[in-house]
Amino acid sequence: MKKERFQVKYHEFISVLRSEYRNIFTDGGVLLVVVGAILFYTTAYALAYKNEVLQDIPIAVVDQSHTAASRQFARSLDATPNLRVSYKPSDLTEAEDLFMQRKINGIVVIPADYEKKLMRTEKINVVIYADASYFLMYRQVFFDVMGSITTSGSDIEFQRLSQKGAGAQVAKTVTNPVTITAKNMYNPYGGYATFIMPAIIMIIIQQTLLIGIGMVGGTWRELGLYKKLLPTGETRLSVLPIVLGKSVAYLSVYAITLSYVLGLHYTVFGYPMNGSASNIIQFLTPYLLSCIFLGIALSTLFKRRENSLLFMLFTSIPFLMLSGASIPVESMPKWLYEAGKVIPSSSGVNGFIRIQTMGATLTEVMSFLVNLWVLTVLYFLLACAGMYRLLRKQATETES
Amino acid sequence: MNWITTLFALCKRELQLFASGKTFLMLSIGLPLTAFLLFVVIFREGVPRELPVAVLDQDNSPLSRKLTRMIDATPTAHVAFNLTDMIEGERMMKMGEIDAIITLPEGMERDIYRTDQVNVTAYINGLNLTKNGLLNKDIQTTVTTFSSGIQIQTLMKKGLSEKEAYDQMMPIYFEKHVLFNPYINYTYYLLPSFLPLMLMMFILLTTVFSLGVELKNGTAGEWLAAANGNTLLAITGKLLPYTVIFFTLYIAMNTVLYKFIGVPLQGSAAFLFGSGLLFVLASQAVGLFLITLLSNMRLALSIGGGYSVLAFTFSGLTFPFMAMDGYMQAVSYIFPFTYYIEIFIDQAMRGAPVLYSLPYAGYMSLFLLLPLLTLRRLKTICTHPIYWGRL
Repeated sequence: MKKERFQVKYHEFISVLRSEYRNIFTDGGVLLVVVGAILFYTTAYALAYKNEVLQDIPIAVVDQSHTAASRQFARSLDATPNLRVSYKPSDLTEAEDLFMQRKINGIVVIPADYEKKLMRTEKINVVIYADASYFLMYRQVFFDVMGSITTSGSDIEFQRLSQKGAGAQVAKTVTNPVTITAKNMYNPYGGYATFIMPAIIMIIIQQTLLIGIGMVGGTWRELGLYKKLLPTGETRLSVLPIVLGKSVAYLSVYAITLSYVLGLHYTVFGYPMNGSASNIIQFLTPYLLSCIFLGIALSTLFKRRENSLLFMLFTSIPFLMLSGASIPVESMPKWLYEAGKVIPSSSGVNGFIRIQTMGATLTEVMSFLVNLWVLTVLYFLLACAGMYRLLRKQATETES
Repeated sequence: MNWITTLFALCKRELQLFASGKTFLMLSIGLPLTAFLLFVVIFREGVPRELPVAVLDQDNSPLSRKLTRMIDATPTAHVAFNLTDMIEGERMMKMGEIDAIITLPEGMERDIYRTDQVNVTAYINGLNLTKNGLLNKDIQTTVTTFSSGIQIQTLMKKGLSEKEAYDQMMPIYFEKHVLFNPYINYTYYLLPSFLPLMLMMFILLTTVFSLGVELKNGTAGEWLAAANGNTLLAITGKLLPYTVIFFTLYIAMNTVLYKFIGVPLQGSAAFLFGSGLLFVLASQAVGLFLITLLSNMRLALSIGGGYSVLAFTFSGLTFPFMAMDGYMQAVSYIFPFTYYIEIFIDQAMRGAPVLYSLPYAGYMSLFLLLPLLTLRRLKTICTHPIYWGRL
């Protein structure tokens, strides 16, 4: 008896699985979201961010001194990896005009008495104008000009001390008693793609699942296809084969596309791959499952084919921010970050970055892993409940 | 004057369509307002403060403890842990408990008194560029300040006066002027950029949907008939109600931003808001162009949606154009958002004379020509039922 019922359920499961595969691969709209979007977006973002860091930012030097020493200083700015002295306007007004035309991103003014003061051991005042309206550019212009000035300053100080008869070692130490070496962990050159791509990939997975599953659900609802799934007579556990059948279909499709993204795509663009395959699989399994179950639960709410896209698309960027990967968690209200944990991507993004980029072990990402399993169970129940409600509704509609 | 009555009738017809279901209300008012509130709350705190860092103090001397206290006193860093070894520190960083580890070497105090050079190393998490930038700056500045303090004392011991010591120590003094965003608060530029981005997304989707639904339901013919077969009039009647809705939203959002959140508005408000209207119109034009060209609502929604999501990446706001390859830079020109952002930076942040922003407004108005290219196709798809009823 029991075995028979299992067989019935198994057959239902297989037929749902088959029909879901058919939905994915014969419906151009769904295929575009579930397979096409992942390949398209990962490639488009990767190409946009390919160069990782910004080099040779154009700046202007207003040299009011016109001396060998001031030209030497301008050359030292040009020699930094991130800056390029592309204009030498004669005054500040001209420099401002270049600035407004977006030809330069910073201005350095060398005073007229530069060399004179240098000779007299007096303090020299160099003025920097850095533009903070673009964050990344501001950071680099400012750091490099400051770094260059500090180096030039130390060189001058070193020479002055040496002239006074101090030995090289003493002069060096007096100039800089304590030095600082700053090392960027896991992303030595501060690359933009290394920082943002893993987060974007996780968000794309979630959003395409939510929209894709919702699109299939909406289409079925619109065409009244759910009636086909109505179990004949048997009602106990009727939704189980449906939910599981759908889930296995998406899980298998994403297993293939993700193998490509985490394998070939990662290798081609050279992103850090510090996680072992087994850790990644163990982490991504609950991530995919929680996204899929949430997708199924939401799909029961959509009455039309286009609704999932219309209502879910805009969440992509806020969900990315709520994960704290792009903007710091510390700069948003704590309650909001905590509330955001009901979205799979919040844990998914954080855990994945830690495993794949930082090389963390599963124990080190345990809190995210546990959260994902909790969400998996929660959304599985919601998916079943939603599907049950929908089938009941369709059944009463058919009767009347 | 006949066309005015027709236009009025068309707008009325559109409003009836609007009221026929909840979708339009959600798309053009409900969801944009939700997104707006969400972004305002996300960015409310602004610049992050007191990021947790750990110190590995191998010296444990008065001087090393002083440096630790100085780091703790910076606005960005908060010394939350004292480590005993590096392995523990790295584990904590992987778990997300700290964002930086500062190691103070053994014998630090002894070496300083002996005038031997000491090196302090800071390991800063490089996977969040915002935090990394802030911590880098504050930690480096603190160590430099600490170093200067020691240097002054050393020089004064050698018989220099305080002023001489200062001049000797910092031969080049720099005067820093932060242009246009003096508080270096990224709320001031991210928030006013995300809001129009969201608006663009909803404008595109609404436009595609409002025409797509006529094709899907096979009412496109009725719509064109209501305009007496004049496609230009039909378009105007269809889009005008949404232009009003979205521009009202634009004004409301920007009023909140500039009046209540304190985003600077240095330049011409009139020009900025005028560009906002142009931006709304340009986004509608792109939407109309897409649905006419594809004559398939679902496909046009997918492509329109994808287009608006990508617009942010290519606006150059977070990752500058300059760093992109040439062909990728070219892609950025196909989004009206790119030009709107340039105008926003010019007018709100920089207070540039309008003359500098004028070209961007010019490029943006080119998008208004897009629907004219497909005007004939629009007539075809509205009169031939073979284009109707597609999913």
